[in-house]
Amino acid sequence: MASGTAIARPRRWDEPFGGATMAETDVERVLGQPVFAAIDQERFPASQPLPEILRNDGRVVRFDPGDVIVREGDYGNSVFVVLSGSVSAVLDSTTDAELGRRTHAGRRSMWQALKQLWANNREPEARDIQRYFHGRGDMGVRGTNSHAQSYIAELSGFLARHTTASLGPGETFGEIAALARQPRTATVVATEATEVVELRWQGLRDIRKRDRGFRDHVDGLYRERRLAQQLEESPLFAHLSPETLAEIAHQTSFETHGSVEWFRDYKQVKARDPSAVVEHEPVIAEEGSYLDGLMLIVSGFCRVSERLGHGHRTVSYVSRNNVFGLAEICAHHWHGEPLTVRRSLRGVGSVDVLRIPTGLVERHVLPNLPADQLPPLPARAEETQEASEPDTEAQAVRTDTDLGLPQDLVDFFVDQRTINGTATMLIDTNRCTGCDDCIRACASTHDNNPRFKRHGPIHDGIQVTNACMHCADPVCMIGCPTGAIHRHASGPVVIDDATCIGCGTCAESCPYDNISMVEIRGQDGGFVIDQEANEPIQKATKCDLCYDQLGGPACQRACPHDALIRVDMRDTETLADWISRT
Amino acid sequence: MTFARRRLRNGAIALLVLAAAGAAVWAQYLALRDPAILTGWMLVAAFAVLASYNVRKKFPFLPLLSSAAWMQTHIYLGLLAAAVFLMHVGVELPNGVFESVLWVLTAALLLTGFVGLAITRLAPPALTHHGERLLFERIPVLRAQLAEEVHDLALRSVETEASTTLADYYHTRLHSFFARPRNLLAHLVASERPRSKLCRELRTLDRYLSEQGRETREAIEDRVLAKDNLDFQVTWQGLLKGWLFLHIPLTYATALVAIVHIGLVYAFQAALQ
Repeated sequence: MASGTAIARPRRWDEPFGGATMAETDVERVLGQPVFAAIDQERFPASQPLPEILRNDGRVVRFDPGDVIVREGDYGNSVFVVLSGSVSAVLDSTTDAELGRRTHAGRRSMWQALKQLWANNREPEARDIQRYFHGRGDMGVRGTNSHAQSYIAELSGFLARHTTASLGPGETFGEIAALARQPRTATVVATEATEVVELRWQGLRDIRKRDRGFRDHVDGLYRERRLAQQLEESPLFAHLSPETLAEIAHQTSFETHGSVEWFRDYKQVKARDPSAVVEHEPVIAEEGSYLDGLMLIVSGFCRVSERLGHGHRTVSYVSRNNVFGLAEICAHHWHGEPLTVRRSLRGVGSVDVLRIPTGLVERHVLPNLPADQLPPLPARAEETQEASEPDTEAQAVRTDTDLGLPQDLVDFFVDQRTINGTATMLIDTNRCTGCDDCIRACASTHDNNPRFKRHGPIHDGIQVTNACMHCADPVCMIGCPTGAIHRHASGPVVIDDATCIGCGTCAESCPYDNISMVEIRGQDGGFVIDQEANEPIQKATKCDLCYDQLGGPACQRACPHDALIRVDMRDTETLADWISRT
Repeated sequence: MTFARRRLRNGAIALLVLAAAGAAVWAQYLALRDPAILTGWMLVAAFAVLASYNVRKKFPFLPLLSSAAWMQTHIYLGLLAAAVFLMHVGVELPNGVFESVLWVLTAALLLTGFVGLAITRLAPPALTHHGERLLFERIPVLRAQLAEEVHDLALRSVETEASTTLADYYHTRLHSFFARPRNLLAHLVASERPRSKLCRELRTLDRYLSEQGRETREAIEDRVLAKDNLDFQVTWQGLLKGWLFLHIPLTYATALVAIVHIGLVYAFQAALQ
């Protein structure tokens, strides 16, 4: 046998949060906070004691007055507890301009659009450097790379313009984003010299799992601040009164499945044998088991599958605001069918689920549910049995799905996690002539710099192209130190070039390799050099879905052969229509 | 909308337009007027719209309808233009040199358009289903890479085999095969004969090779197949790009000669009056 290299087995805390473990004195201070002091440490196993969780999954961060701790709209996966000082959460909205971003709010005028014909730079990645030093408003940045810190220079003016809520020592914020993988709902700034402990999601998960009091506290905050609103966002619950929603919210349980940092092992998952991919996905509800509630997907994606032989046949996928189990509950409610899960639900990556008790669904949701929301009822057990008996082989080779797409294509989309895209670029290679009109159009609308590469994995003539998919779960947005990468008001994930400091965090996080780091040039064509390090300055670039162009994505409009589409993978009707055009 | 339904819709519209054009020309006959003036201006209008598609491509940032919509217009208007062209010149060949040049240019322009349409519809599925779909610009790099690998395999086989069987075959047959794109005509007609022949020749060498030599031969054969796919891709992707080098220059040439033709027609008409 070939001799290998022996190393210590990688462990949970090899990479402590922030790169270093928390100091002993800080751990004691954190444990003294009311939210942590009430935790029963006896419930934690010897291998994972509470102080160790805090030491490795938490970090103490110090902020000066005016420092921006979190920005509204940012993606985060951590919760904060104030140790000393105070912070202000902005209750009304903060604008992009206030946060130092200089992305266009709307589309260009006809003249600005036409001007691109002659005003585009001839040199690649050329920038107007002067723009970086003007128009920042009150926002400043100090430090570099991941240590960069944004701050508001005129804090008093900023606070006077907004309605804010002050939070002091012992108070918690950021739990909604950490728990539900939602964008931060408010900008939070330090109003004096402040210390906070930031706890990443792994630590939050472990403490929630071990201590009921902590779980009730954090979930209570989430319930109070977000859950009812989240239910209301689902079409299924939109018709209910606030009182009913509050009752449902009170009895709904919140679950997290899979790893929030799924993007880190995504490439390993892709390399696996297709049949093994499904086995590695966490089971949320298993075919044949008892259904104890309606499952509402709050974030992430799930594979819906049926058992077939020794494997699983993917029949559908569900994402945010979709529900699972409604057909079974309807069949139980109206036909007295047993409450048995007919298909399996598995998490693809990280999934957050609200589990709503069946009784509440039957009492409040079903009686007034609009007809268009009713799911097709599953065949009754005896009918299924009768139908399957004469022709079990035909059943075994079924290749149709609930989505109107061939099953192997659904498997491909789910395995590749293309289903994350809200504007995935798909190319029908049976029609694409390789004329590159899409690339040229992209370059023309981005100062002569194409923002995607016309290649990518192909399945049965459908290519998932290397272009930003503007993900529903945009992990690239986690950890941007200046908030340069953000979701534009019109939907796409965009990078504000002026605010980007070229740290590369987003490019490293993107599981699909759709963000590129480029060395920028000045108007004279020469590289822009960092005066201290004497190295070229880099910026992150990617597709911005032509959010400021007239007419939308230039790539799609430029394709002469209808071979290219930008499609929201949740819009399965459009997707199925496009796939089945021939 | 499915492509079949779109073809039906656009085809029906084109037939209606053609019928209207035919009626207008017939009315000219009935009025004892020369319909060539009307059909001539119809052709000018059609060519103006057809040529403006290339202008549309220069403005991807303006909301000027999708390129696919323009392409559909281009295709069906091209078909209509061919019909109007026949109405204009009739079934006889022109007798003057200048008119003959214009006739040849217009016919060639329409013909290259129809051939291009056929290529753009047939080549992409053929490329997709033949093997790995590659970027045209990357093909020379990949070919050089394969050539180097085969060169190394052949050289190494001299040491490991203590025989020059594979090296000799490489020198006489494979070196030129990997040097540049080959068998383009065979690929054009989807013939696999050159590839099969090469593979058969390679396998024939097995009786002269050791176990290790056979493994090397298999590795070389894999690269022959990969190179063959590159040649297929070069042939069809080259064709996809190449036909436009005929169609677009012909557009400019036809436009130029047509302008002179219109000038001459009106000049002679004025002289006759």
